[in-house]
Amino acid sequence: MDVQVTQENLNKALANVARVASSRSTLPILNNILVKTEDNRLRLSATNLDIALSQHIGTKVKKEGSLTIPARLFQDFVSNLPKTTIRLVQEDAKLHVTADNYKSTINGMASDEFPVMPSIQKPQKISVPTTYLKKALQQVTFAASSDEARPVLTGVLLNTIDSKLFIAATDSYRLAEKEVVKTDNQTKLLVPVSACQDLLRIIDESEGSVEIEFDRQQVKFTVGDAELVTRQIDGEYPDYKKLIPTKFQNKAAVLKRDLLSVTKIAGLFSRENAGSIVASVDDATKKLTIKSIASQVGDNISEIEGNTNGSGDITLNSRYLIDVLQVLDGDQVEICFNGKLDPIVVRDPKESSYTHIIMPLKS
Amino acid sequence: MSQRGYSEDKIWQAVLGEIELSVSRGSFVTWFKNTSLVRRENGSYVVQVQNIFAKNQLESKYSELIRATLEKNGIEGPSLSFRVGNPSKVHKKIEDQPILVKDTKRQVKKSGNVLSHSYRQGLNVKYTFESFIVGGANELAYAACQAIAQDPGNKYNPLFLYGGVGIGKTHLIQAVGNQVLKSNKEARVIYISTEQFVQEFLDAIRYKKNTDFAGYYRGADVLIIDDIQFIAGKEKTQEEFFHTFNALHQANKQIIISSDKPPREIPTLEERLRSRFAWGMSIDMQTPDFETRCAIIQTKASAKGINLGVDVVEYLSQGVRTNIRELEGTLNQLLALCEMRNIDPDLQAAKNLLGGTKNRPKHISPKHVIERTAKFFHISTDDILGPKRDKDIVVPRQVAMYMLRNELHLSFPKIARELGRKDHTTAIHSVEKIEREQSQDDTIKQALSQIREKLYA
Repeated sequence: MDVQVTQENLNKALANVARVASSRSTLPILNNILVKTEDNRLRLSATNLDIALSQHIGTKVKKEGSLTIPARLFQDFVSNLPKTTIRLVQEDAKLHVTADNYKSTINGMASDEFPVMPSIQKPQKISVPTTYLKKALQQVTFAASSDEARPVLTGVLLNTIDSKLFIAATDSYRLAEKEVVKTDNQTKLLVPVSACQDLLRIIDESEGSVEIEFDRQQVKFTVGDAELVTRQIDGEYPDYKKLIPTKFQNKAAVLKRDLLSVTKIAGLFSRENAGSIVASVDDATKKLTIKSIASQVGDNISEIEGNTNGSGDITLNSRYLIDVLQVLDGDQVEICFNGKLDPIVVRDPKESSYTHIIMPLKS
Repeated sequence: MSQRGYSEDKIWQAVLGEIELSVSRGSFVTWFKNTSLVRRENGSYVVQVQNIFAKNQLESKYSELIRATLEKNGIEGPSLSFRVGNPSKVHKKIEDQPILVKDTKRQVKKSGNVLSHSYRQGLNVKYTFESFIVGGANELAYAACQAIAQDPGNKYNPLFLYGGVGIGKTHLIQAVGNQVLKSNKEARVIYISTEQFVQEFLDAIRYKKNTDFAGYYRGADVLIIDDIQFIAGKEKTQEEFFHTFNALHQANKQIIISSDKPPREIPTLEERLRSRFAWGMSIDMQTPDFETRCAIIQTKASAKGINLGVDVVEYLSQGVRTNIRELEGTLNQLLALCEMRNIDPDLQAAKNLLGGTKNRPKHISPKHVIERTAKFFHISTDDILGPKRDKDIVVPRQVAMYMLRNELHLSFPKIARELGRKDHTTAIHSVEKIEREQSQDDTIKQALSQIREKLYA
């Protein structure tokens, strides 16, 4: 191999790809990234056997070739080079890197031991505008579970209902759902949440859309020059739609900014009892009250004025409330609930595409 | 459709055994772990693998090797394919749980009393409360065990005993079993070492006797598990043990566990087990003090019909400080030696003996601790000692201070000097910080225990 690339391009691609190369694998070659010429471009790939990520960079290819080199070292080295043209020359399992006055040789391994990147057989396809997908993933992924005891809940669901694509996730204590875009393609995919987080990192908003291709077992996301392949989680996702309440006895619409700061403060006093805070709506005073009590530390009560409906109170986890408030867009936020054990809905009154449910704590 | 059979499992085990010898360890673990062989009705064979990468790899690199090895094991010219699938699942499906829940408590079914093999006790009758010598260091453990033996299941459940090697954990927990059996001959007492538990579990999977296995342990009145630290890293066994634990605890059956370290320091122990171990009572069994050691030697010697002089007893307990097993060994050695040479076991004989065998515990220098810590975090010792304050150097530095404080018990000013700091308050802050963080941050906790392991390795 003998190629020339710019430091900017190589550095950017490495920042994405090197992160995937696992550093703790039993198989040493998985700590490496695969550097390969392909169609007059350079392709960098890495995998941790859960996901595979590869990125193409525009290059001047003088001679074809491929090898694998340690990801960390290569990335650290390239990021420290000046912004100039870098020449990569392969000699057996060694890579000579030359840039201005810098010259170095990195010992690698032959590429034939590197795992074959999975391909999608007879793919079904769907295309989603990048900005929409990014927003949806940001608003949804954090609600997915990390408990491997229920594998389906460690996935993020991409599902079409009535020609609309929904993205949803739940850890059984909270649930987030976003209506993303209208589409004619049928999809039902369960993607590991870790892969979604990696996808979020490589999504570049300058690209128009993300192409999603999938077969029965794998799914591939293509964002511009980058490709991410991961497995699908096997299993039936619970039918969550029926859990979303539509009628509410108690409602309070307040400024999101206010609620967020009040909840953060209340959270400080609820550390010892699992973040538990009490929200009460009072129709007489037109106020939403957030209260937390820590017998060891002290207690805290804060009030916010707003539009209220009904009177009642409910106990919930402040952490979950903060999480959702941080991803909501509008200035206003509405918190709606019924009985003490019924789901709570937190939403932006002007934006109906995003739904978030939190289960109350037993008070 | 396809079906997995016993003979395929056996053949596949043989094939894997052979392949393991011809490929590198890394490749074997990565590509062949959790694979299985399935025979289809039309006579073709399917290798089930864990993920698409393994499928690609086996197909492109190893299919010839697998085919050849299968032929060697009596499957002629197999038509072979690969597919991604779940290996035989031992754990229950829990998909039918409610979607949104209000409470985290998991329901555990009461186990039936279907026993397929008789209760083996595995207890050594010579371990009794009477032969256990109580001193300040093991008083609490002794009292707790006695209370349990009188009223198993209702006092401290589970009881978790931990402490170094040879300080009487096994003796105590077996004494509980013996005592319970003494008062109730019908009681089902199981004593098992973790290693044996793992082995039986593996056999159960292999020969598809899972229900027998589970039923056996879940039918116990008192379950005593020795050296639980060996369960670390064995995920499926941990899961099985978790279910057994829950079933027993739910039914108010006594569980007694021993380990060489507290639950939170056992590496790769699942969180749910960790928290359960700490549920009842955890007791740290300390190294016996000087007086206890003397008492032990005297009792052991007089059990053999020999009366030792006070000076000999004191000399021996001075010489062997940490381990009772070693102490007993030394005593036996002394007695044997004296019998052989036909001399009296006096101070001189003891001195001759110990002078030869006495090996001081490895001394660990502060420098050693710092080097180990630096090595663990992949930074140089100079960085730790130097003035840099980057985050990836500061944390290792703080960890080093913590280790110096906790392992070598250095004073704060001394720690500051070792690390080239002027002010000892930095050391105080660092130690406090790591102490705080290790209870919250798993990675720090892991790092500490790994460094500690390396240090004493």
